[in-house]
Amino acid sequence: MFKFLKEKLSKALNVFKEKAEEEIEEPKEEIKEEVKEKVQVKTEKKKEEKKEEKSVEREIKEEPKKEEKISFIQKIKEKVTTKVIDEEKFEEMFWDLELVLMENNVAVEVIEKIKEDLKMDIVNVPIKRNEISEIVEKTLRKSLEDLLNFEEFNLVEKIKNNDEKPFVIVFFGINGSGKTTTLSKVANLLKKEGLSCVLVAGDTWRKAAIEQIEDWANKLNIKLIKGQYGADPAAIGFDAVAYAKKNKIDVVLMDTAGRQHANVNLMDELKKINRVVKPNLKIFIGESITGNDAVNQAKEFDRAIGIDGIILTKFDADEKGGAVISVSYVTLKPIIYLGCGQNASDLKNFDKEEVIEAILA
Amino acid sequence: MVLDKLSTSLKESLKKLAKSIFLDERAINEFVKEIQKALLKADVNVQLVFDLTSKIKERALKEVKEGNREKIIKIVYEELVEFLGREKSEIKIEKKPFKIMFVGIYGSGKSTTIGKLARYYSKRGYKVATLGLDVHRPAAFEQLRQVSEEAKVKSFIFKDKDPVKIYKKFEKELNEFDIVLIDTAGRDALSKELIEEISLLNKEIKPDEKILVMGADIGQAAKNLAEGFHKSSGVTGIIITKLDGTAKGGGALTGASVTGAKIKFIGLGEKLEDIEVFNPAGFVSRMLGMGDIEALLEKFDTEVSKEQAEDLGKKLLKGEFNFVDLYEQMQTMKKLGPLNKIVEMVPGFGSLNIPKEMFDVQEGKIDKWKDMMASMTKKELEDPDIITTDRIARISSGSGTTTAEVKDLLKQYKQSKKMMKMLKGKDPSKLMKKFRNLKLK
Repeated sequence: MFKFLKEKLSKALNVFKEKAEEEIEEPKEEIKEEVKEKVQVKTEKKKEEKKEEKSVEREIKEEPKKEEKISFIQKIKEKVTTKVIDEEKFEEMFWDLELVLMENNVAVEVIEKIKEDLKMDIVNVPIKRNEISEIVEKTLRKSLEDLLNFEEFNLVEKIKNNDEKPFVIVFFGINGSGKTTTLSKVANLLKKEGLSCVLVAGDTWRKAAIEQIEDWANKLNIKLIKGQYGADPAAIGFDAVAYAKKNKIDVVLMDTAGRQHANVNLMDELKKINRVVKPNLKIFIGESITGNDAVNQAKEFDRAIGIDGIILTKFDADEKGGAVISVSYVTLKPIIYLGCGQNASDLKNFDKEEVIEAILA
Repeated sequence: MVLDKLSTSLKESLKKLAKSIFLDERAINEFVKEIQKALLKADVNVQLVFDLTSKIKERALKEVKEGNREKIIKIVYEELVEFLGREKSEIKIEKKPFKIMFVGIYGSGKSTTIGKLARYYSKRGYKVATLGLDVHRPAAFEQLRQVSEEAKVKSFIFKDKDPVKIYKKFEKELNEFDIVLIDTAGRDALSKELIEEISLLNKEIKPDEKILVMGADIGQAAKNLAEGFHKSSGVTGIIITKLDGTAKGGGALTGASVTGAKIKFIGLGEKLEDIEVFNPAGFVSRMLGMGDIEALLEKFDTEVSKEQAEDLGKKLLKGEFNFVDLYEQMQTMKKLGPLNKIVEMVPGFGSLNIPKEMFDVQEGKIDKWKDMMASMTKKELEDPDIITTDRIARISSGSGTTTAEVKDLLKQYKQSKKMMKMLKGKDPSKLMKKFRNLKLK
């Protein structure tokens, strides 16, 4: 899945390391010569001493002297092998890494954050030559870990542990991101876990949106609550929650119309749904093929009603995986599932370790 | 809108360039790097960005000399237009029936776009039909049927799992139409079965145009997807959708470059009229904050009657107008599309930094204003200056709004009046000339 990103990344990492090492290449030569000189001096001295027919006592005395000398050499070595990389040099060094991340669809804003992390650990900090690659890798890993640093999210458990019934989930996102398909996949999964569900046809705007979710409801044999086209989705959601309460149904899954996050009026409508339906969980549906706009989308939806969890769709269409990093960076909310197909069962658990390993290993 | 980040950062880097003491390679390099960053942020493919900027750099080093530093803007403009295909590339309807097949990944907006084009072409006198071949997605047929109904064109739909069979069933009937718009299943370009299906459709139907529909927000995946679709169906044109959001459309530009196909239309919203012929020069002008007068005029021609347009123009220039005019003006503007898109197209306005939120709020307000105006007397409508506190209270209770909202309307009226006065006496042809000069510089 992340094969492509992985390959590219490791290549760029190597370039980065090389550049960093080159930076220190020259002084390294100097040290070698210096060290050689010192050693030569030392051995000459030793020879001289030996010629003088030294006693055992003397030899013992020489031991600490020798140690002193080595540590002194090391000190010099450290001074020269450690090199301070200034900001300008760093910018130049990071450029290749930056391009790879960009090529793999990580949003520029997120790359900046990764860059800042690396900068803090590398710029103007004395670094030993042989530690550079280690530090670069460690920092990048830590950066990614930070970006995906959300609590493990087990949806089924969460619903089962919830005392109050029903557990209400609202799905939202921009047009064509795959809300209805994903909602149906989640309903299918919950039903298999023995949870009773009701679907809500909350997209009363798009042509045939109601028929689409109705098709799914029939296929999965799950009750659907719907209204007319043009009806207030908040009111339909309210009715559905009341229905679920009355019939002791475990989960309400509400679809909403796709909307552009820049459209204030439609975002207000979403806020109203949030106020009226009072969902336990607000799931943002994003696409893994989205580029830099992923950051704007996630940010705006989060600001409008607050994202509790994320499902990224169309994962089968893109092996690059950068959107995963972008979206979770912006919201710091868990990615619950990845959607990867058109069938009811095409839902994959998200595994943070797996993602990081795949990118860096 | 599209690549708008580019225009802001371009302005900034131009300023930087103007300030730099020496116009040397270093200064130009820095400028080029800014353009690179903006393009990358707009999701243009990395490799393409480098090809494009190396051309810009090469020309800049040769052509930009002391004293004509602004020329770099012209170079950027020309190279971007070149990159986008230079000429407007409209679909030429050359035979009957002219079959246009739409392909793309799921959720890119194929069916919606078909509805828009059905309306677009039937408004221009063509006899249009739609054909539903998306046999996979639930309710896809129903969506096409409803979209076609709204566009007032005939749709050919038959529930079956075999798209070729459906096509054969209607083949004869379709011959009676000028244009047939063919919907296909959304597909992952990398899935084998669907690629086979589309290749087969391509062979059987022999469409005259094969349009790849791409969302503006698609990222670096655009390259592989476009390549995949191109291989299976031989893409001849591209339509970018969802340009009404914050996405920049760079991925779709990549698609155009990869397939060698031109961008034909851009989609700017959910309603059927939210579509525009793609014009590279206008697109780039708009992007660089120079306005796109051509697109505005075209919109005006199809959406607004001549009398209405003349009327509006006269009133705008007279600098005298009242509530009735304000309302009419708002209605006309509404027909043209979202306010922010209109303003972007007006030369000179593109460079004003008007917050996007303002336009959205405005649109919500228009409906309330309508109610308030309905609660006003004729006298009040014609001479809003007579509206005092008492009258405000009456209007607000009559229209179910708050007094603050009525006051807000009055404020808006006064502001608009002031703006109109400022425009008074300005000759529109002069404005145009100014704009043209800017372009040719």
